[in-house]
Amino acid sequence: MNLLEVQNISKDFFKNDDSTQNVLSDISFNVKKGECFTIIGPNGSGKTTLLRILGLVEDPTDGKILYLGKEMTNLSRKEKTKFRRRISFVRQKPVVMSTSVERNIGYGLRVRGVEEREIHQKTKEIIEIVGLKGFEKKKARSLSGGEMQRVAIAMNFIIDPEIYLLDEVSANLDPKNITLLEEFITSIKEDRQKTIIMSTNDRMEAIKFADRIAVLNNGRFTQIGPPNEIFISPKDEFSALFVGYENIFPGIAEIDEKTGLNQVRINDIVITASSRVEGDVKVCIRPESIGIVKEPPKNTSYRNTFKGQIENIRDLGNICHVIVECGSERFLTTITQLSREKLGLNKGTEVFINFKATDVKLL
Amino acid sequence: MVNEFIDGIVEAFALLFSLDPEIWGIILLSLRVSGTAIFVATLVSLPIGSFIALRKFSGKKFFTNLINTFMGFPPVVMGLLIFLLLSKSGPLGSLGLLYSPTAMIVAQLFLAIPIIIGTSKAAIESINPDLKETILNLGANERQLWWELIKESKKSIIAGVLVAFGQAISEVGAVMIVGGNIRWNTRTFTTSIVLQTRMGEFGMAMALGLILIIITFSLNYILTHLQMRDK
Repeated sequence: MNLLEVQNISKDFFKNDDSTQNVLSDISFNVKKGECFTIIGPNGSGKTTLLRILGLVEDPTDGKILYLGKEMTNLSRKEKTKFRRRISFVRQKPVVMSTSVERNIGYGLRVRGVEEREIHQKTKEIIEIVGLKGFEKKKARSLSGGEMQRVAIAMNFIIDPEIYLLDEVSANLDPKNITLLEEFITSIKEDRQKTIIMSTNDRMEAIKFADRIAVLNNGRFTQIGPPNEIFISPKDEFSALFVGYENIFPGIAEIDEKTGLNQVRINDIVITASSRVEGDVKVCIRPESIGIVKEPPKNTSYRNTFKGQIENIRDLGNICHVIVECGSERFLTTITQLSREKLGLNKGTEVFINFKATDVKLL
Repeated sequence: MVNEFIDGIVEAFALLFSLDPEIWGIILLSLRVSGTAIFVATLVSLPIGSFIALRKFSGKKFFTNLINTFMGFPPVVMGLLIFLLLSKSGPLGSLGLLYSPTAMIVAQLFLAIPIIIGTSKAAIESINPDLKETILNLGANERQLWWELIKESKKSIIAGVLVAFGQAISEVGAVMIVGGNIRWNTRTFTTSIVLQTRMGEFGMAMALGLILIIITFSLNYILTHLQMRDK
């Protein structure tokens, strides 16, 4: 069963001159328990409005939201509060109350009627996790942007909700705070098995965490699918331009003790990477890093060579996208029109693709 | 004229330090009447002000306009309306409240309510809407949200309450009409100052004026202190 079902949501905002502005139209998608669903789109595409609707603090103009099969749109205020308590929302620009860090973090538990002693204990634990020890008694509003975002994370983490809504949370953060944030997302996704719906501008962040990505443009979903599908086969020009291209494969990385090379198994192929990351990884290779030849390469410095067959060629003027099927996986490569003609590449042609171990990025 | 002024000041200090029972009676009555009126007005106005600020309902614009109009309602006219209401032939005449401290409390109450509704509404409306949503998303119900927002805007609300108190205690027209300025019973700072001035008793008038100024100055001092404290 789907944890969340969104059916044909639309949202119009009334402007001061009584005209309306359409912000979202005909948005539909489902989210399964434990899934990370990522909304990617430019500023002003409607990401925040969609998350506010899912967070039950804004009503849609049209459409339905079903949470475990129960409709949310026509609930009484009391029932809405009940369901809101199962969802948490971390904003791009965190807002905190004018009390201490400690009081802010414990607020979610306090409104749920948890005993003060337990609140104190849990707050203490979370403050250690987010690295705010020593800040307990400080006014939360006096903190820096990054520190305030940590308070906001702690405020939501302590509640332990079923669904996390994360709205461009890494925007405006420095690298140190981004690392902390990524650890937080990994911990709620992997350890706590929570459902995450996040919006982002950052494609690497989307690739890293998303099980499925939805591309939002002008209030409409132009494409929904797993990351490799979105990045290899964008449905329209907008997705192609905004999201960009990327080869993404989920795999398991293990460093070979004899050779010292990192071998990543992706179904029936093995890719060599120079990165030292091990375990469950996402392999990313930029299309322009992949070379394409007709004869098996000899004396090459490329660690990775695979035999395959051209599945499709997309003509883009001076350059073209060639999709090559190698065993279980499909690779996207970019070559110039001139090389294509020289090599005589067509649909069905048997080719070899190659790329350097240093061009393989592991997330 | 200058002599009268200096004599007035000298007499004022003499009266104040002699702990004249009539002066102290007037001070205590004024504080009691305005204090009670403002206390009740706050209890009534805070829920109304926050309700208007937080809820969307038809007629919200009309209510807002109505409150704004009543915030500047002429006190004399308010006095007249309460007088008509409480006079022997009026609808509430049987209560026998006219020319009593209660009548003055009622008049000041109705003058203070729109001021406190208006300032608390504005205070709550000026809170960052993202903070309201954050509080809701953290799991607060309507009552908890309301209480949190009152706490967030407490400085502005206290400022509104103090402004209303300042206006109530220095108001003269309405209390004169419904209180009647009866000695030892309904004589306040302002009605007394009017009377003493007319009678040429400038010392008494200035003593009362001085205390009134001290009270309003103290209120403003507390106000500034509150506003500076958290900075």
